[in-house]
Amino acid sequence: MLVIRKTLMQSFFLVAMAVVAGLAVNALRPDGLPLAGAAPSAVTLPADKTDIALKDAVVLSLSKRAVFLDARTGFEFADGHIQGAVSVPVDDFERIFPGIEKDLAGKDAVIAYCDGEHCPLSGELAGKLAARGVKNVYVLKNGWTLWNNEGLPVEKGQ
Amino acid sequence: MRRDAPSRPPARAEVWLFTALRLFLAGLFAYASLDKIAHPDQFAAILRDYRLLPQAAVPFTAVVLPWLEAVLALALALGKWREGALFLSAALLAVFWASLAVNMSRGLDVSCGCFSTAKDSGGNMAWYLVRDGFFVLAGLAAWHLGVWRRRRPPGG
Repeated sequence: MLVIRKTLMQSFFLVAMAVVAGLAVNALRPDGLPLAGAAPSAVTLPADKTDIALKDAVVLSLSKRAVFLDARTGFEFADGHIQGAVSVPVDDFERIFPGIEKDLAGKDAVIAYCDGEHCPLSGELAGKLAARGVKNVYVLKNGWTLWNNEGLPVEKGQ
Repeated sequence: MRRDAPSRPPARAEVWLFTALRLFLAGLFAYASLDKIAHPDQFAAILRDYRLLPQAAVPFTAVVLPWLEAVLALALALGKWREGALFLSAALLAVFWASLAVNMSRGLDVSCGCFSTAKDSGGNMAWYLVRDGFFVLAGLAAWHLGVWRRRRPPGG
């Protein structure tokens, strides 16, 4: 029927005009809305520094968006580590890295940790990872103690 | 159904009523679009509160819907593209009313977002429902008078 065809055609053009006008104005205005993008997250990853907060690390861990790398020695790792963490002693980095490289890709955070406020191992590991092109590398300072103190999931063994 | 039945000249009162409804709807949509076009971020927040759209669709809707209202206001005011404008007007008003009704039945007291994006403009949901119910009736009446009534054959 002519009236239905007319209705559909005109409706289509009216909607199309609105889409074009809306998107054009949104693109031009300085406070335009981002139209695509991830849903807002409770996790705030710092853009200007590599330290990550424990709470953010926990959320990313639970949602399997993070991988933890333990920078301590293999012996300390075997004695207890964050659940699911991979042992990457800094001295063995070059040997271990090729085997874990593909597991680090696509994660929201690759979190290096060791034990103690002034432990340099996690920072060194983070530096080596970044130098090899790994994205989203963070350091959970004093990670093992903080994690343990909160009674978060840990495991033993290699 | 008849194809392209010949039109009958509408009665004078009908013409006046249709014109009044058309201009009323034009003013309604124009007024409704202004604040939303000015504050898309706040309108997006209200759309999220409605919990009816997928999160990913909210920004696009917040950007485009106010402009659809503005385009409809213009088309209705000028009397152009009558079939499409009247159909979309009635449909939009019905969708708005249904959205309010769904949220009222859910027990969510959301900010209406009908004419203002101010968060504190939330108020009595039942009143919004009654008021928007009248808007739906006005939209349907205008559509009926402007499209279907004019197409009735002589004596029909």
